[in-house]
Amino acid sequence: MLWIALHLPSLSLESFVAALPPAPGDEAGRQPVALVDAHRISAANAAALALGVKTGLKRATALALAPRITLGQADAGRDARALLPVAHAALAFTPHVSIQPASGSGAASIVLLEVQASLRYFGGLEQLLQRLRRTVQPLGHAVRIASAATAQGAAVLARVEPPPHCPDLAATKQALAAAPVWLLGPGKEHWDALQGMGLRCIGDLLGLPRSGLARRFGEPLLDEIDAALGRRPDPREPIVPAPMFESRLELFARADSSEQVLYGASVLLERLVAWLSAKHAFVRRFRLLMHHEGRWQDSERTPQATALEIALAEPSRDSAHLLVLLRERLAQVQLPAPTLELALQAEDIVKRAAPNSELFPTPQNENEGLTRLIERLQARLGADQVQRLSALEDHRPERASRTDAASAALGPVAAVKRAAKRATRPAGPSEKRREEGDFDAPSRPVWLQPKPEPLKEQRFQPLLDGRALRLLCGPERIEAGWWDAGLAERDYFIAEANDGALVWIYRARLPMSASEAGEGGWFLHGRFG
Amino acid sequence: MEVVFVPSLSPPQTPRSGVGGQAIDLRSPQTLHPALWLGHQLGRSGVHAVSTGFAALDAELPGGGWPRRVLSELLLPHPGIGEIRLLAPPLIAAQRAGRLVMVFDPPAALSAAALGQLGFDVEALLVIQTRARVVPGSDSLWALEQALKSGHVGAVLAWLPPRLRAERLRRLQLAAHNHDGAAFMLREAAAAGRPTASPLRLALQAGGADRLDVRVLKRRGPPLEAALRLELPPVLSGAARRRAEVERLPALQAATFVSFA
Repeated sequence: MLWIALHLPSLSLESFVAALPPAPGDEAGRQPVALVDAHRISAANAAALALGVKTGLKRATALALAPRITLGQADAGRDARALLPVAHAALAFTPHVSIQPASGSGAASIVLLEVQASLRYFGGLEQLLQRLRRTVQPLGHAVRIASAATAQGAAVLARVEPPPHCPDLAATKQALAAAPVWLLGPGKEHWDALQGMGLRCIGDLLGLPRSGLARRFGEPLLDEIDAALGRRPDPREPIVPAPMFESRLELFARADSSEQVLYGASVLLERLVAWLSAKHAFVRRFRLLMHHEGRWQDSERTPQATALEIALAEPSRDSAHLLVLLRERLAQVQLPAPTLELALQAEDIVKRAAPNSELFPTPQNENEGLTRLIERLQARLGADQVQRLSALEDHRPERASRTDAASAALGPVAAVKRAAKRATRPAGPSEKRREEGDFDAPSRPVWLQPKPEPLKEQRFQPLLDGRALRLLCGPERIEAGWWDAGLAERDYFIAEANDGALVWIYRARLPMSASEAGEGGWFLHGRFG
Repeated sequence: MEVVFVPSLSPPQTPRSGVGGQAIDLRSPQTLHPALWLGHQLGRSGVHAVSTGFAALDAELPGGGWPRRVLSELLLPHPGIGEIRLLAPPLIAAQRAGRLVMVFDPPAALSAAALGQLGFDVEALLVIQTRARVVPGSDSLWALEQALKSGHVGAVLAWLPPRLRAERLRRLQLAAHNHDGAAFMLREAAAAGRPTASPLRLALQAGGADRLDVRVLKRRGPPLEAALRLELPPVLSGAARRRAEVERLPALQAATFVSFA
């Protein structure tokens, strides 16, 4: 057995800072921040420590030392919500991941991994630790990593400075013997007594008779030492990711702009990605809920929360891509009231194999890139601004083609399929016809006027821009649509404009529509591009 | 004798002085590398160009066709002078290769039937309207830049907004480096007087029925004085074309064709 302990020493502070509004530019990290628990400072960042704010100080003292300090309330629930994604991310290395329960010495901030079976796959402990650090890095926590032969031992040693790596039980025992005694959970209340007796490290306790220790300091202290040394069974319950993702983030200050919302949402997206990688899944649809400030809810028009639903054409777990989509969508949303709390939910996920990373471009990843491009364009411009044409069976030219919103996923896949089909069939029918020089089908213009443009007539000739058109070809009669409202009875001509361009004009046959156009009933309907 | 140094490009089959005992003839430095040419010669671009489908035009374009990875600028007075028939061969070739063609901001509605007649596969064509809705704080060229930058699009055909500033075009030109295919920018004819970042600029003018006059305003090579007259794939039937050949008189009266009910 080889256990790795991930200790997040400033988890509560980091989970609080994630909810702060983004600091402008180089201010980040220099703003003093501290957490308050029962009116006393429980954690402070480097900037606050530099100003003299220490843990244990009273709230008023801290404010006197650093008037600009941002004080937040310590919240074990918030810490647990931030620790869970770390455990999810660790599931990429082993199925045996557990969270060290909170002990007397503080809130839970240690994730334990049993990695003996994974060592060979990842190429040894060194490589595994490197990848582990890289994997949890996007979550934005400072991490200390220790390894030991027992779970409890690793949890204790992760808080030793510097965290040791003990490959076997003997080394674990040696390292534990040098560890300070206050790292043990149950020994906290006896710390003064232990110090008074000259018992500073765990090794000092090991030399004493067990019965006396149990009587003076209680059974739990002995149990913990036994578990750490492997003398006592220490079963751990591996965590199982929830079937659907939901995580929320309470913002410290109300967010007025979508940029501030986006900053909080990016934290949640990283958590979503950790959960997805634990599930070996890709998200297809997720929802961002923005809970609004209560004061605004008095007005009946203001909803309690705004939901932003984002559907992906191609399931993904790339946090950068998800963030881009979210940014484009958020930019279009007008928030009715300031946001206080964010929640991210995802249930529609797809399980499939992780994508291979290729060195050279292949049709596969070109397709994926194209889908992403179309998705990005749709998110920014609106889904109906990315259009696909299709030909319809109708003689009336204005009804012979249709534009509809293109779906991002369908396009590229269809294109590849078509290319495969093409390979088997050398030339399309239109191609063949062109080669044979047979033009029985009358030509149609590429550009169609959205509405036929009435033309003036002079000496029985239609005019375009004041110049006479020369009729070159026609008439071609199109008479259709008597069965629906769009009756068309027209004689089409191809005409040459003054500059040599070819246009498609028609003369309405119905006297009624002729009267609309003025004298001749001529209309410009298209141009040959 | 000096060896001419071409930075960051490895010259293929370069005779180097001293190495193979061969001396470089400095009077013909264009033999050193495909990216070099003399002032009176046509530039030979290193990347393989896309054939235009018109032999006369291929002969006048550097590299023998539409260049890849750069913008090709086409100036035309108004839509509907034969520009789609001119550009159809490279676009169709991109579709044949299984790639997508994107059309940005076409000036009017495109007819699927007509595109099919020209040989396009309308399913492998995406039309993107960027000016339908103005997104605050963004420009209408964002979508075009994204498409060029992604490098996943087979060919791009875009109608640029009028009076576009040169630096915006330069930005697109930089984005086009990633785009392995032809990129056609269609602009108004008045842009001819303003500088451009694209290495190829043509002015189009209708030259009669089914004919197109192409003037090469800018290319890697000497200026081209005379306009090229291209015979486009015909819209008119043979008889109608002969009719169009007759002297430009109002020879045909509408009344000869139409019998009013």
